Amino acid sequence: MPLDTSAYSLALLRVDGRRWNELRRIHAQIRTQAAADGSSYLEMGHTKVMCVVNGPSEPGPRRGGVATGGGGGGGGGQSKNAEVAVNIVIAGFSSVDRKRRGRGDKQVFELQSTISQALAASLHTHLFPHSTINISLHVLSQDGSLLAALINAATLACVDAGIPMTDYVAACTAGSTSTYAANDEGADPLLDMNHQEEQELPGLTVATLGDSDRVAVLVCESRVQVSRLEGMLAVGVDGCKQVREILDRVVREKGIKMIQEGTVERGVGLNDMELD
Amino acid sequence: MADRRRINGPVGTTIAPIYDDAPEQKSQVAMATRSRPANVIRKMYLKTGVTPSASGSAYLEIESSGNGGSGLKLSCSVHGPRALPRSTPFSPHIILSTHVKFAPFATKQRRGYLRDPIERDLGTHLEAALRGSIIADRWPKSGVDIIISIVEGEQDREISKAQGIEAWDTMNALSGCITVASAALADAGIDCVDTVAGGVAALVQDAGDDAAPSIVVDPIPAEHEKVLAACCIAYLPTRQEVTNLWFKGDLPASDMDVYTQLVEKGIQASKSANRVLVDCLNETVG
Amino acid sequence: MASSQHVLLSPAELAYLHASLSLTPPIRPDGRSPTQFRPLVAETGILPGTNGSARICFADGTEAIVGVKAEVERTRTRHDFPSLDEGAEGDDDDLEDNQHDVVKGDNDWVEMTVEIPGYRDDDAGTVFLSAMLSEALLADGEFTKRLWINRRFHWKLYLDILLISPPLSYPLPLLSLTTHLALLATRLPRLKSEGDEDPLFDDDWAAAAYLYPRPAAKKGSKKTTSFATPTARPPVTLLVMAVGNNIIFDPSKEELAVADVALAVSVGESSNPSSSTAMDIETEETKGHHNLRILSVRTIDPPSRLTPPGIPNASNSAYGANAAGAKDTEKKKQQQEQARTAESEAVEGVWKAPRGGAKPLVLAALVQKVLEKGGVADEVLDALDGVDLN
Repeated sequence: MPLDTSAYSLALLRVDGRRWNELRRIHAQIRTQAAADGSSYLEMGHTKVMCVVNGPSEPGPRRGGVATGGGGGGGGGQSKNAEVAVNIVIAGFSSVDRKRRGRGDKQVFELQSTISQALAASLHTHLFPHSTINISLHVLSQDGSLLAALINAATLACVDAGIPMTDYVAACTAGSTSTYAANDEGADPLLDMNHQEEQELPGLTVATLGDSDRVAVLVCESRVQVSRLEGMLAVGVDGCKQVREILDRVVREKGIKMIQEGTVERGVGLNDMELD
Repeated sequence: MADRRRINGPVGTTIAPIYDDAPEQKSQVAMATRSRPANVIRKMYLKTGVTPSASGSAYLEIESSGNGGSGLKLSCSVHGPRALPRSTPFSPHIILSTHVKFAPFATKQRRGYLRDPIERDLGTHLEAALRGSIIADRWPKSGVDIIISIVEGEQDREISKAQGIEAWDTMNALSGCITVASAALADAGIDCVDTVAGGVAALVQDAGDDAAPSIVVDPIPAEHEKVLAACCIAYLPTRQEVTNLWFKGDLPASDMDVYTQLVEKGIQASKSANRVLVDCLNETVG
Repeated sequence: MASSQHVLLSPAELAYLHASLSLTPPIRPDGRSPTQFRPLVAETGILPGTNGSARICFADGTEAIVGVKAEVERTRTRHDFPSLDEGAEGDDDDLEDNQHDVVKGDNDWVEMTVEIPGYRDDDAGTVFLSAMLSEALLADGEFTKRLWINRRFHWKLYLDILLISPPLSYPLPLLSLTTHLALLATRLPRLKSEGDEDPLFDDDWAAAAYLYPRPAAKKGSKKTTSFATPTARPPVTLLVMAVGNNIIFDPSKEELAVADVALAVSVGESSNPSSSTAMDIETEETKGHHNLRILSVRTIDPPSRLTPPGIPNASNSAYGANAAGAKDTEKKKQQQEQARTAESEAVEGVWKAPRGGAKPLVLAALVQKVLEKGGVADEVLDALDGVDLN
C-alpha cells in the first residue's frame, strides 16, 4: 500500500495524526494471569501482545523438537547462569490478512533470540544456576513496532515474576520521514512507527536499559542514510525513556493497589512511596 | 506442513471435462446395497508373524464390498520392548508409541509421505485402545513401537468422492488397526490383560422410500444412502470392558436409546472380530 | 500430550485422592460438588481485527483466546465422476438442482489450528484436540452451510485457538468453551451483491450479520436479558470422568490423574427439531430446555495409566519382604508368589495404575449424565447465555 508521505511536509502530521515525536497510546497491565509466575498485557497503538513468564525453574524434560528460541543466557542445565528461553506465538488472526507462521519461521527465530539475549543481559541470571526462565509471548494483533512491544511486555512480565534485574529494558521504534531513495535533506526523524510507516519508511528498533542511555538492543533492517541514523537513534532513545516512565507507572500502580488490597505487605524502603 | 524433501506427485487425479451429448449411454449403476445381515461383520483374514525382523507382526485383510471396490489391508509390526534411549526420563511403565500411516497409494486421493492430521489422530486413538490392554508396569524404563501401514484403504471404485464418506471410512480403518495391532502385540509376546479388538456400528439411512434408520455393524458407507452416526469400539471381551470409544454423528439427546444400541452393536462387532483374532492366535500356538 | 503429562503426585497421594473421590458423595480437593464447574471469566469481541473473538480465564489461571477470521474464497468446481457417468443429461439436472437447492458446504471451508505453548502443532495431543473440536463443529453438516455465499464463492473460516497459559489441566473444555463463544460472536459482512456475481459486501460493520443468527429481540418482551439468544449454537465439548461409581465433571489435573475413565462429550443444540432422525416429542416440552444433540464422544486416555504405582508392604524389601533368609529357594518362590498377588490384586491404600478399560455401563452413565434434562450440558449452555456478546 503506497503511503502518501508527501502529506507530512504540509502539516507536519503523520497518517494517524501524530507529530513526529509522539508515541502512540501505550496501555499495559501486569499480573493478568493467576497461573503463571509473571504475566503482562501490553498495547502499543493497535499492536497487542501478551507475555507469560514461568521460572526460574528446573529445566523441564526436553520435549521433542520444541524450539526454545535462542538460549541467550547460555545452555540451561549445566551452566552457571539461568537460560532465558523465549517462545513467540504469532496468532494467525493478528494481521489484516491471515498469515500462518510455522514454528520454523526464521523471522520468529530472530525475534526470539533478540529478546532472549537482551533480557539475559539485564536479568541477574547468575543468581539462578542450572535453571530456565521460560518467556512465552503471544501476538494478538500487529500494527508495527512488534519487537519493541514484545520487549516491553517481556520486561513487565519479568518484573511481575520478581526476577531480579538491573533495570527496565524499554524499547521503541524510530524512523525517518523520507525514504532512502528520496534523498531528502530535511527529513525528520519519527518516533514509534505504525505498520503503514514501517512498510514504507526506513526504521530501527532500539531498547535502552532504564534511565541510562545505554542501548541494549538495536535492530535496523532497512536501508537508511548514515547521516539520518544519528537523529533516528536520538529520537528512539528519547522514546525509550518515555516508555520506561510508562512501564514504571504501570508497575507502581499495580504495586500500590496490591498493598492497599493487602495482597502483599508493605516492605521496608517503601515509605517514600505515596499511597493515594 | 508441506513435504519439501521429496518430489511429490499431484495430489489427486484430474479429469478433463467431457462434452458428450449422448444421453443413452447413461449407465445407471445401481448403488450397491448391503447383502449381509445387519449384525454380521465382513469376513476377515488375519495372520501373525509376517515380518520376521520385527518382534511381532500381523497382517489383516477385510474382504471387499464386492463390486470392484477394495477391502482393507493392514500390516502391523511391533518393535520392542526395548530400552529407552538414555536421554529419556525414568518411566515406571512401558511407553507405547503408535504410528499409523496410509500408504501413498492406499486411497483414491494420494497420501503424502508425512503423516496428516487424520493419521495422527488415528494413532492417538490406537494408543488409547492398546494402553488399556497392555500390562504396562511389567516393563519399566522401556518402550515399544507399533507401526501400522494401511496398504489399501477401503474404497469403492464406482462411487465418486461423495461428501463425508472418507470421514466414516476412518472409523473402519481404526477398528482394523486395533485388531491387527492387538494380534501383533500378542505375537510379540507382550503381556496383555486380554486381546482387544475393534468393532464399528453405524446408524444408517438406506436409499429409496423413507425407510427408518437402522443400525448395522461393520458398515460400508457406500452401501447406504447416508450414515447418520457411527461408533468405533475397542473391547476386551473377558473383562467386558471398553478401552476406547469413538462416537461421531448427530443424534438428538432425547434419543439416548439409539446411542446405547449403537455402542452395544459396536461391542458385538468387536466380539466377532475378537473371535477371528483368538482363532488366529490359537492356530499359531497349536 | 496433556494426557501423558507428568503429574507430580506420589503414589500415596494418588491413593488418598482416589479414595476420597470414590466416597459417596465424593470429596474433591477444591470442595466442589461433582457436577460443579470451576468459576471462569469470559469476554467476547476483544480483538477488533477479527470477525469474532473470545477469551476465557479459568480460576486456576488457565487462559485461552480464540480468534475467527473469514476470507472470501472461490469455490472449486468439481469435474468429477458423476458428470462422466451420468452424461450430459445428468449435468443439466445438476444445473437445475443447483437453482433450487444450492446451499451446501464443504468441510474444507473451515480450518482450525490449536496452539499450545511448548508443544509442536503436529504433536499427537494437539492434533487430537483439534480433531475433536472440529469433529464436533462439522458433525451435523449444518455449520459449513452458513459459509456459503453463492455458487462461485464461499467464506473460508480460520479458527485460531491459542492457549495462553501453560496447560495446567487438560485444556479441552476451556478451548471448547472459548471457541463456542468466539463463534457466537462472529460476524460476517452483509452481502450486497446478488446471485452468482462477484460478491460485494457492505462496508458498515454494524450491518454485519452474525454467523449464528439471533432472533430479533422484541422490544418490551418478557426477556430480561438485553440481547436475544441465538437459536442454534456451536457445539460444546465437556470433559467427564469417573472414579469408582462417581461421575465427576470438569476435573482438575490432579483429579484426572486418578480417573478410571475420562470421556469428552460434544453436544450441540439444533434449531429445527423437525430434522431429527427417529422420534420427536420435543414440541410439547418446556421452552427452557435446550434441544440438545449428541455430536461426538471420545474416550480420553486417562493419565492415571501412567502414574507410578505404590509398593505394598508385602513386596517391599524395607519391610522385611526379602529379608535375610532369601537364599533358600523355597522362601524365594513364596516371595515371588506374594509379589505376583501384589501385582495383580489391589491392596487397600496402595496406589496402582488402573488397568483395562471401562465397563460399558459406566460409559453410558457418563453420557447420560451430560445429556439428561436439566443435566450438566443444559446448565453449561444456560451459563453461556449469560455471557454478553457484543
